[in-house]
Amino acid sequence: MEITREIFWNVGHWVRWPVYGLGLIVVIIFVYGLIKRIRLWRMGKPENRYDQIGKRITSFLSFGLFHGRILKEPFPGITHLFLFWGFLVLLLGTILIFIQEDLTKLLFGTVFIQGSFYLLFSFVLDLFGLLAIIGVLLLAFRRYVLKPDRLDNKPEDLIGLILIFLVLITGFFNEGVRIAITRPDFERFSFVGWEISKIFFSPEANLSSVKTLHAISWWIHLFLAFGLIGYIAYSKLLHLITSALNQFFRSFTPQGEIKPISDIENQETFGVAKLQEFTWKQLLDADACTRCGRCQDNCPAYLSEKPLSPKKVIQDLKDHLTSQGKNLGKGEGEKEQITPIAGNVVSEDELWACTTCGACQQACPVFVEVIDKVVDLRRYLVLMESKFSSEVKLFFKNMETNYNPWTIGFATRADWAKDLDLKILAENSDVEYLLFVGCAGSFDERNKKVIRSLVGLLQKAGVNFGILGTEEMCCGETARRMGNEYLAQILMQQNIELFNKYGIKKIVTMCPHCFNTFKNEYHQFEGNYQVFHHTEFLWSLFKEGKLKFKTSVDMTTAYHDSCYLGRHNNIYDAPRRLLGSIKNTKLVEMERNREKSFCCGAGGGRMWMEETLGTRINHMRVDQVASTNASVVATACPYCLTMLEDGIKEKGMENNMAVFDLSELLEKAL
Amino acid sequence: MSNDVWIITEQKEEKLKKISFELLGIGKKLAEKTGGLLSALLLGHGIEDLAAELDGYGASKIFVCDSEALKDYSNEGYTRAIVDLVKVHNPSVLLGGATALGKDLYPRVAARLQTGLASDCVGLEINDEGLLLAERPIFAGKVLVDTITPEARPQMACLRPNILPVPEKGSEKAEIEKVAVELQLQDLRATIKEMVKTAGEKIDLTEASVIVSGGRGMGNKENFKVLEELASAFGEGATVGASRSAVDSDFAPHDWQVGQTGKVVNPNLYIACGISGAIQHLAGMRTSKYIVAINKDPEAPIFQVADYGIVDDLFKIVPLLTEEVKKLKAQD
Repeated sequence: MEITREIFWNVGHWVRWPVYGLGLIVVIIFVYGLIKRIRLWRMGKPENRYDQIGKRITSFLSFGLFHGRILKEPFPGITHLFLFWGFLVLLLGTILIFIQEDLTKLLFGTVFIQGSFYLLFSFVLDLFGLLAIIGVLLLAFRRYVLKPDRLDNKPEDLIGLILIFLVLITGFFNEGVRIAITRPDFERFSFVGWEISKIFFSPEANLSSVKTLHAISWWIHLFLAFGLIGYIAYSKLLHLITSALNQFFRSFTPQGEIKPISDIENQETFGVAKLQEFTWKQLLDADACTRCGRCQDNCPAYLSEKPLSPKKVIQDLKDHLTSQGKNLGKGEGEKEQITPIAGNVVSEDELWACTTCGACQQACPVFVEVIDKVVDLRRYLVLMESKFSSEVKLFFKNMETNYNPWTIGFATRADWAKDLDLKILAENSDVEYLLFVGCAGSFDERNKKVIRSLVGLLQKAGVNFGILGTEEMCCGETARRMGNEYLAQILMQQNIELFNKYGIKKIVTMCPHCFNTFKNEYHQFEGNYQVFHHTEFLWSLFKEGKLKFKTSVDMTTAYHDSCYLGRHNNIYDAPRRLLGSIKNTKLVEMERNREKSFCCGAGGGRMWMEETLGTRINHMRVDQVASTNASVVATACPYCLTMLEDGIKEKGMENNMAVFDLSELLEKAL
Repeated sequence: MSNDVWIITEQKEEKLKKISFELLGIGKKLAEKTGGLLSALLLGHGIEDLAAELDGYGASKIFVCDSEALKDYSNEGYTRAIVDLVKVHNPSVLLGGATALGKDLYPRVAARLQTGLASDCVGLEINDEGLLLAERPIFAGKVLVDTITPEARPQMACLRPNILPVPEKGSEKAEIEKVAVELQLQDLRATIKEMVKTAGEKIDLTEASVIVSGGRGMGNKENFKVLEELASAFGEGATVGASRSAVDSDFAPHDWQVGQTGKVVNPNLYIACGISGAIQHLAGMRTSKYIVAINKDPEAPIFQVADYGIVDDLFKIVPLLTEEVKKLKAQD
């Protein structure tokens, strides 16, 4: 017997043309739905995401096809992988049949799905079909039985799962009935269908009634499959396309970089009031979101019961996009009624709750960007509406008048260094490195201790460095994240002028926020420097043998990753290695560490705002430290230091643990 | 155009505010220089008795605008009453307080009178040309500028409270003139229906001349009583504040909070008890005239900004201070 099977067996070859006709209609329905969404994205402003095509293809392959980020959570990751690859292989199988029936067989009379290939084909398709069924059942189990908090259920979730399940089940059913009738022995390779066939097979069975059953299930399977394809473009299943596009068009600029408002002097509007002011990629983000909620599970604001959930923000934008889309193309004559997004679609409390820590973006399997949208919407509130709290107002005022966040005169900025005999660039600019002190190191008593330790280490290593003294100004990082782009750009440009005046090429910073801004944002204004955070810099000094840690420090320490050092700039190892190089120091990890580190609560301007809603983020982090039993928590950021120290005091845990900057610990170990 | 100097007093619920007397004090000095007369303006409802209290501070005339429409402060009503009267008498100088009320009221008054306004002044004098020279800080206190109003009249300025002393009460009698106020309650476009007060009778931190503040060193809510006792020993104008960590620990309500994210205060005397002095707190009180710090930890940063520092247990020191203040006050 020839090892193959007859396509369109039992239902008749005449069905070929009506089926293809129907298929064409389904494809048109699908494409129409897709085009409707594409038109929505095209409302946005242009943005160049067409560079580095090679990297983009790799991104699609590794994160889309091979589920790079999705698999970071094994249970949902693997079940989704089963479903995805199950369906993909079934689709490829169907395409192979299509190629054989409509191309090779029609044109050349060649049938290639036969013989041992047919056996392989049967086995693989059954295997992947089975995996897909397992996947869909487990996903439904997770969604409707385990009910993780981060999943919200909409009808489209249920419809999607049921449709997929039915398509798979009817496919196997149909296969089983076919085998029950034809019963060739080699169909054992279609192992799922073979098992099912046993139900229907009996020597006395009425052949014609089983044949009718086969024909009916064939048609049901066909309609369900076509229905599913059509449904994709009008439901969350469209993420098949949109998420893949998002992985392809993802940002390759550093995660910590915020795009400037360019040519700010000549702009008439600032930030984003309406959807059209987002870029097309920002709008695509809204459609790429699958509501998986991993962002929410990692968001410090959400976890501390603030009104913000990144998932909700993106979904609210998507709903807004859909409802705006209904008006798209309607007469331009009507006066456009603008409801600003900030305050209406996304509430002000949500926007101000964001610490810009980037945990959501790092967790997102499809690279949805959140921080840029929060900042764009804050820009609208701050620069167009002047809507911000009194604390924020005080912050801006202090920045404008004294270039630091506090009500302290700029003339005292270098007082901390009075007794240190440091090179001040205005007097002596013959230095290799600029040590950028930052506001905290300059004014805050606690952080003055840190900068003095750092200075001690640099001097010990014989580094030729100087400081700007009273000429130094805030780097502009916080003002920018609070939406005051105008103020931020003034500070940035003034610093750049200063750096260039003294011919500075290399900068060492104490604060990861200064570091991120110099490294990733100053190039926007032609400020290009080699920038080092002190952790990186001290590590390289240690490697070169310029620093030696001889004194043993007996302690168990947990290292707290600063968001702007870790997630935003991928510096995870240098601080840990430095701690590891101290004798008798035991390094332990918190449950949330490295890219999953938990923000201290101060980023994105939160340092300067009251935290009146929910639990305090720094208290949560202190609890996380406490559960490691570490007696010392090491940080490398003045914000983190302040927040953790406050948290420890407020929780009355001063006797259990203390917080130090890395450079303070290293100085002890010299 | 006269050489007269006018000051606008401030009262709330039939009690005169301290700024009224501070204004009378400086007004008298200015009037001596201009050679004009000093007049005071009192607005409100049922306030005749208050006019007598203003007597003896150098004003030769006290205008009393008593009307139901002026019972509660309203920008609209007060502006109309003041502007109408000023247009009749044309004083050369018109002074008010840079208080919360003043910051709301005088810009509108100045606009209606088509004159300038030197806001938030820390010094006032008359220069050689006989013009009002108003000294005011700009750029967050980095620079002091002298402002004059060369042509427009009256020359308007607002004086920052708690800068100048309250003069001694003398015996001279002022003429009290009741002004017929045409304004009716129904003329006002907005009226106050109800005042909702928070936190009882406590005076506003930004207006207090003495603040006794507690930090986490207070230990609990109840212990704030010792601070309240000290504040009440100082009498009127003294109140209690708190640091952010004390507020966070629920020792004190949020509207007591002094600091970067609370109130920025500027009293004559700030007593910090059990406050370590995080920069967030210092940012809100470092410009106080005198700062006294009481803290067990000699390393506490609060001592860096304090004029007087006591390294000891606040629960020992504060009651002693309360006793001493009471004794001193009893001698007055």
